[in-house]
Amino acid sequence: MAVAPTSTALNEPADSVLCAKNLTVGFGEATILNDITVNIGRGHATALIGPTGSGKSTFLRALNRMNDRVSGYRRNGEVTLEGESIFTSGMDLLDLRRKVGMLFQRPNPFPMSIRDNVVAGVKAHRMAKRHQFNDIAEARLTQVGLFDAVKDRLNKSPFQLSGGQQQLLCLARALAVEPDVLLLDEPTSSLDPVTTERVESLIANLVPSISVVIVTHNLGQAQRVSDQTMMFFDGELAEFNTTKELFTNPQHPLSSQYVRGHIG
Amino acid sequence: MTFTLEAPARPRHRRRVSQMIFRAATLFALGLVLIPAIWIVLGIVLRAIPHFSFSVLTHTSAHGGLENAIVGSFIIMVGVAIIAGTIGLGAGIYLAEMSATSQRGQRVDGLLRTATEVLAGVPSIVLGFVGYIALVVGLHWGYSLLPALIILSMMVVPYIAKATENSLAQVPTAYREGAEALGMAPGYALRHVILKTALPGITTGLLVALAIAGGETAPLLYTAGWNDQMPTLALTGHQVPYLTYPVWAFYNQPSNSLRYLSYDAALILIVFIVTLLVVSRIIVARTQRHADIRR
Repeated sequence: MAVAPTSTALNEPADSVLCAKNLTVGFGEATILNDITVNIGRGHATALIGPTGSGKSTFLRALNRMNDRVSGYRRNGEVTLEGESIFTSGMDLLDLRRKVGMLFQRPNPFPMSIRDNVVAGVKAHRMAKRHQFNDIAEARLTQVGLFDAVKDRLNKSPFQLSGGQQQLLCLARALAVEPDVLLLDEPTSSLDPVTTERVESLIANLVPSISVVIVTHNLGQAQRVSDQTMMFFDGELAEFNTTKELFTNPQHPLSSQYVRGHIG
Repeated sequence: MTFTLEAPARPRHRRRVSQMIFRAATLFALGLVLIPAIWIVLGIVLRAIPHFSFSVLTHTSAHGGLENAIVGSFIIMVGVAIIAGTIGLGAGIYLAEMSATSQRGQRVDGLLRTATEVLAGVPSIVLGFVGYIALVVGLHWGYSLLPALIILSMMVVPYIAKATENSLAQVPTAYREGAEALGMAPGYALRHVILKTALPGITTGLLVALAIAGGETAPLLYTAGWNDQMPTLALTGHQVPYLTYPVWAFYNQPSNSLRYLSYDAALILIVFIVTLLVVSRIIVARTQRHADIRR
């Protein structure tokens, strides 16, 4: 079915942190994303929804170039961060990823102590002196509400923590390098409802100082955490609108069916 | 369509019997590995201990001891650990991490991989002979430390490279992606996140390699020679004693004291290798405090 985009001009380029222009991404023969043009608003929480295989994760991973090393990767079109192309040689890939942080579906703490996990990025980017690491770790763990639970075992393995605590630790690690944008790839799909709620309220608190882009299968979550929503279908951007509009008054027939639970 | 299911087949006692048989079969296989090993070790210990005297450790072969061979074996193993460890680790890292993404590059990498496997398959005595012709005679180095180290390293580098490559390949993608998403440079991520995870496998590979090097005789006969005096650190021109020589050569001598020395040498070799094992386990345990899976 042909998908004609609706309401993609939600944000002016000047108010956008990330802009995709005619972005097409494929792996080998398969085209995963087809001609996506969208402006992601600065200081907004943007939800990416759509059925499995609709390309929303690939779009998310295009924003910090995590697709680059996938075999057969090919790209057309442009992505800009604050007006600057993320694909030119002038853009330092490592710096891009510091500015555009990422949290994955499964928590992935490193095999090092809890404290070292939090400051792993800070160390890699040499953003602080050694004697400041303790304070940074404490501040970030406090920010994600994990400090009290782990303060007596900062030197212990993170793998004794629950899945939810591990995900919060990964969030603290991502926040420690002071990103401008945080990409979340279904960050709560492996978490229990209580932790999910905590992660959601943390995300709400990050905005607007950090722009958040979150892929989610949970339509309720999209409505709770985001104020703008992109609806993907079959590699195309079917609709981009404020979350409220998209869920109450969807313009595109496919998004209408999807948010009502008829498809997907 | 309607159908009726029959009651589940396989009564419980049958399941239990088949489980028991499988358990017994695997236990038997384990026994086939362990029993000869225990038999060999006990055989050596029981023959060596009754006549063992600590003077063996403090006298050279010229005076009825093995001190020179112990020191020689130690020097050889340290040398192999340094040379083969560095090269094998580097080669393994290349094969696992740096290998090309282009099709042509992948073909070249496949060729390199096969080449290391071929090297691993060359019989040690052939390598020893090559070392003798090319290094000992060809380069006029004589029986000495350097040709021994080079030939033994050539022998064990493939093991270390393979172990390194395999254990790096087993590092979860989640660690790599996590490091990548944090903006760690590939080399930094390798050193601080990925190698750490792969360390138990790499250490085990290095250990096996050292055990092979320590227990090898044929290539050393061709390259190191033998010396009943204390070895020196001279790289060329001085023959080097090592523990496997007395095991092989003294056993056939028509003298009981030399036979006992050959058992002593075998015992010391075993102690060497067990110590190596224990030390490496301790290192692994210390570095894996924070690992998610204990290995």
